[in-house]
Amino acid sequence: MAKKLLIDATRGQQTAMPPWLPYAGVHCAKLIDTSAEQFLKDPALLAEGVVHAARLYHADGIPLLFDLSVEAHALGCDLAWWEDNVPSVTTHPCQAGTPLDAGLEMFSRDSGRWPLIFEAAHMAKPQLDELDCAMLGLVCGPLTLASHLAGPQIFTALLKRKEYAHAVLEFAGEAGAQAARFYAEMGCAIIAIVDPVASQVRPQTFREFVTPNCQPALEVIHADNLTSTFFICGDCSKVLEEVCQVGTHGFAVDEQVNLGFVRDMAHRYGKGFGGNLKLTSALMLGMIDPKADALISLAAGGNHGYTFAPG
Amino acid sequence: MSLEQLDKLVENGEQQESEALAQKMLDEGVDPVQILTTLTATMERVGDQFAKLEIFLPEVMLAGETLQAVVEIVRPKLASDNQMVLKGKVVLGVVKGDLHEIGKNIVKLMLETSGFEVRDLGYDVDSLDFIKAAEEMAADFIGASSLMTTTMPRQQEIIEFLKDKGLRDKYKVVIGGAPCTKGWADKIGADLYCEDANSASKMMAALIEK
Repeated sequence: MAKKLLIDATRGQQTAMPPWLPYAGVHCAKLIDTSAEQFLKDPALLAEGVVHAARLYHADGIPLLFDLSVEAHALGCDLAWWEDNVPSVTTHPCQAGTPLDAGLEMFSRDSGRWPLIFEAAHMAKPQLDELDCAMLGLVCGPLTLASHLAGPQIFTALLKRKEYAHAVLEFAGEAGAQAARFYAEMGCAIIAIVDPVASQVRPQTFREFVTPNCQPALEVIHADNLTSTFFICGDCSKVLEEVCQVGTHGFAVDEQVNLGFVRDMAHRYGKGFGGNLKLTSALMLGMIDPKADALISLAAGGNHGYTFAPG
Repeated sequence: MSLEQLDKLVENGEQQESEALAQKMLDEGVDPVQILTTLTATMERVGDQFAKLEIFLPEVMLAGETLQAVVEIVRPKLASDNQMVLKGKVVLGVVKGDLHEIGKNIVKLMLETSGFEVRDLGYDVDSLDFIKAAEEMAADFIGASSLMTTTMPRQQEIIEFLKDKGLRDKYKVVIGGAPCTKGWADKIGADLYCEDANSASKMMAALIEK
């Protein structure tokens, strides 16, 4: 395991071999024979599961948790909890108005699940350090958090109610900065802005709403000399150039994008890039031989700024 | 005032103007079926553009909302004249444990505008509830959407429950959602995998015509 290898690759540098970054998420709960809900609500289980997964999979880095509902929950969204999955956001406080109209106040480290996340980080960090495994903090990206706060209507508001959309996205960007502050405090070496739905908008919309609202979190991350990355899902090929220009050191994509295309774009912008072992068809369903799939990804990724990871 | 204008307004998601124009056209005696036929083509084009990433989710949602508003104006005229040709009946929902329904709502819209009767069960739908609703409705199709890898096994569960109840051949099971693939559909024994909303209406119509 090699934390430095992962940091170097995320920063777009040449590495002796690609680092390996499993986004284990609630799979960690299964590994320690507990439910996703228990795992995400209990700091000791959270730390145990993450460290166990890091050790089992010989990870060079691992997210402390992969749950994009943390910020929304701390801002007052209700959640539906599942036995085998991350919670889903069920209510949207900004459905009828801006964060200001809704009286939203920025969360503190005592809000929502932040206290237990701090506690889990306190337990997991020294163990991960001992494994030379980087602990990652995952911040909910501005468009995804805005969709939690405002509901699906945020997507049409991006075009038809811009003032409202800007207000929600700006608040979401500030929430991202607050979360980044917390993850930096917990000792995360790499902080990712995770905005899965950002692939669903056109490049101009990305530049207008996503890029500027990632900057508050990036200022926090870079002020502490930490490493930054941006995770996006879906077919992001049309906005990949915008992803490269968002200001992070690197980025990661999912299985729907061709890794050769991603590699060339990342090299052009001097960015690190991660992906894209097929999470669904290979890792989960075994419809493609995971070993063959891994070899394809490794061959396409190479040793220059590439992080081997699920997509 | 023309169908071409309405087509453009709906494509651009101009809801108020579309509603006003549709009403005016109906008042002037334009055939409501002609309006719907035009707008079905509009949504097919929007769906094609979305599949090719020429337009994106906000634009599709706006066009969909606008279309829905126009359909509400046109529908009463259709019902009174009994001019709808029903292509099939569909029970549609997002599987248990999954709350992501934007895609499912777009599929619903495309199916309705292309002549299917849809019973929308919403999201987080228990596998048995799909079957119960299909029985009640005498449906032709059960459409199950999943956006998360972890909820995809629920699509398989619906098929297994249908087999257990001896109902497997009674319904065509259609699956969709971002992580789903044709391979997954084949593996679980689904009748049809639809990559996007536009292909759903076309492929389901083709399947029922077989």
